[in-house]
Amino acid sequence: MEQEYASVLVRLVESGKTPKEAVAALVAVLKRHGREALLPRVARAFERTASRAALRTQTRITVARAADAAAAQQAAGATDAHVTVDDSLIGGWRLEQNGILTDNSYKRHLLDIYHRATRA
Amino acid sequence: MNTALIEKVIKEIEGFTPKTEGEHVGRVTAVGDGVVAIDGLADAVMSEVVVFETGAGKRLEDTLEAEAVFGLVLNLEEDGVRAIVLGDAARVVEGATVKSTGKVLSVGASEELLGRVVDALGNPIDGKGPFKKTHPMPVEREAAGVIYRKHVSVPLQTGIKAIDAMIPIGRGQRELIIGDRGTGKTTVAIDAIINQKNEPEATRPICIYVAIGQKESKTARIVQQLKEAGALGYTIVVDAGASAPAALQFLAPFAGVAIGEYFMDKGKDVLVVYDDLSKQAVAYRQLSLLLRRPPGREAYPGDIFYLHSRLLERAARLSEEKGGGSITALPIIETQDGDISAYIPTNVISITDGQIFLLADLFNKGLRPAIDVGNSVSRVGGDAQTKAMKGVAGGLKLELAQFRELEAFMQFAQDLDAATAAQIASGQRMVEVLKQKNGAPLPFAVQVAVIYAANNKFLSDVAVSQVTAVEAAFASFLDAQFSDTLAEIQKTGLLSDDSKKELNRAVEEFRLAHPEFFTENA
Repeated sequence: MEQEYASVLVRLVESGKTPKEAVAALVAVLKRHGREALLPRVARAFERTASRAALRTQTRITVARAADAAAAQQAAGATDAHVTVDDSLIGGWRLEQNGILTDNSYKRHLLDIYHRATRA
Repeated sequence: MNTALIEKVIKEIEGFTPKTEGEHVGRVTAVGDGVVAIDGLADAVMSEVVVFETGAGKRLEDTLEAEAVFGLVLNLEEDGVRAIVLGDAARVVEGATVKSTGKVLSVGASEELLGRVVDALGNPIDGKGPFKKTHPMPVEREAAGVIYRKHVSVPLQTGIKAIDAMIPIGRGQRELIIGDRGTGKTTVAIDAIINQKNEPEATRPICIYVAIGQKESKTARIVQQLKEAGALGYTIVVDAGASAPAALQFLAPFAGVAIGEYFMDKGKDVLVVYDDLSKQAVAYRQLSLLLRRPPGREAYPGDIFYLHSRLLERAARLSEEKGGGSITALPIIETQDGDISAYIPTNVISITDGQIFLLADLFNKGLRPAIDVGNSVSRVGGDAQTKAMKGVAGGLKLELAQFRELEAFMQFAQDLDAATAAQIASGQRMVEVLKQKNGAPLPFAVQVAVIYAANNKFLSDVAVSQVTAVEAAFASFLDAQFSDTLAEIQKTGLLSDDSKKELNRAVEEFRLAHPEFFTENA
C-alpha cells in the first residue's frame, strides 16, 4: 500500500507540483481515508523509490585505481560521472548510463580471451 | 596450464580487438526463494534469458571457472522485471548487475540426446559427457496451426491389451493417464515406451520421458528399466527431480516438448510422457505466489489452465507439407482419493483427447493395469485403431461394462438364469485376459490373436484362475508355431479370413497340446 502512495507522490512531483504541495495533497488523502498512520512508511517507501530512480539515471564510472578516474571519464566521454573504485577490474573502466553498461575493463577483456580459448 | 592452451591464449591475444558495446543492464533489488526483483531492464521481453553478474568485486582468478547464473524473465513491471533463477540462487546477491541477452530460453536438441538423461535446461546429468553439437529449440513456441495439422489416423501401440483394445491412442493424440498415487500410472507410460521397440525402426517413435518433481531414486529405476528392456536407445529422459528448484520443475515439460519438436520437425513421430503435471502445477503455483501474481482457486494463478493447454496443444500430427511428424502426449495427473473433479484434473481432462482412469480399488483387487473402463475414453483414437483390433475388440467395452453391472447384481442374487451365468463367466475370463504384468507389453498382433481366441470361446472351459497362465502359454505357442500369421497381422493391420483360419487352427492345436488346462465344464 505504502509503495503505491509513494509512487503517486513521485508522479505528483514529476508532474510539476512543488514537494510541499504534493505532500500536503497526500496527507489530505490519507486523512480522508483514515490512514495517517501510514505516513512514516510512505516516507520510507518514497525514499527507496527516489534512491532507485537516482541510481537509474545517475551516470557511474568504475575504475581500478582512483588515479585513473580523470582519464577514464575522458575516454568514456562522461566527465560528470560519479566515480567508484573496484581494484578487481585490473585496469580500464566500466560505464553505466541510462541502463546501458559499457564494460571496457581489463578484467572483462581477459575473461573474454580466456573463455574463447578454453570453450572453443 | 598445458602448452596447447597457452598457444590458444597467445593466439587469442594476438588477434584481440577490444569490443566495448553497450549492454542493457538492471540491478537486483530483492532476491529470495529463487525469485529475483530487478530494477531496470526496460527493454526486456517475456521469457527472455538474463545473466546475473556474480563475479563483481572478485579477483580475476576466482571468476575464471565460475559458471554463469541465468535467469528467466516472467513478470514485466512498471519499474523493472521479476525473474526466476535457473541455477544456484545463492550466488545472486542484492545490488548485482543483471545483463539482458535478447534471447528467449531454448534447449539444445539433437540425435545425441537419445539414450541420455538431461536436466530441464538440456544439460546432460548422466555423467556421459557433454554433447558435441545441438540445435537450440525455443522452450516456448506457438503450437502448430490448424492448416498445418492432419487428423489422427496412425495408431500408437502401447502394448497394453486393455488400452490398445478399448482406449486406442493415435499418433498426435493427447491421452491423459489419471489416478491416485500407487495405481500404476507411471507403469502404463513406461510400458508404452518399452513397447515401441516392437515397431519397425523406420517408424518407431522417439520417446521422451519427463520426470517432474519425482524422487531421483524412482527416475534412476526407470532409466535402469528402460536400459534393461532395450528401450533407452530411442528414449530421452528429462529430469527435474523433487530436489530441483521450482523453476526447473515448471520448465521441464516445456523442455521435453521442445526436444520433441526438434524430431517432429524432421518428420519423426515422438511420444512424450509428462510425469506428472500435478507437480508442475504445484511448482508453478509456488513461483506465481513468489512473483506476487494474484492467487485464484486453490491458490493457483489465473493462467494455470493456459499453462497446461499451451503445453499440450504442442502435441500434433503435422501435415505432409510440414514433414508429417507427430508428437503424442501422455500427461499424467495424480488425484487425491479418486477425485477426478478437482481443479487441475478437470482442467487437464478438458484439454486432452481422452483419459485412462486408474482405480485404486481395482489395483488392490489385483487387476492390473487397474483401468476403470467406464470412466476411460479415447476421443480420437478410434480412427487410429487398426481394422484387426477394431474387428476383435469392437464390443469389448460394452461387454465389460455389462459384466461390471451384472457382477454388482450377482452379489445379491441367489439364482441366475443360464444366459446371465454365461455372460458373467465370459466377463470373468475377459477380465483375466486383459490383466497384464508390469514391464511386459505385448506386440499388437499377439493382442489381436489372444482377444480373437477369447471372443471365440477358447477360454470357456478354462478355470478363471488359470486364464492368465493359459493366455501366456498360448501367446508363446503362437510366437513359436504361428509366427508367419502374427507377422502378417502385424504388417497389414488386418485380420483376413486366412489369418482367422490359421488362428482357429492354432487354438485347436494348442488345446490338443495342452489338455491339462481345459478341464472345467463350459
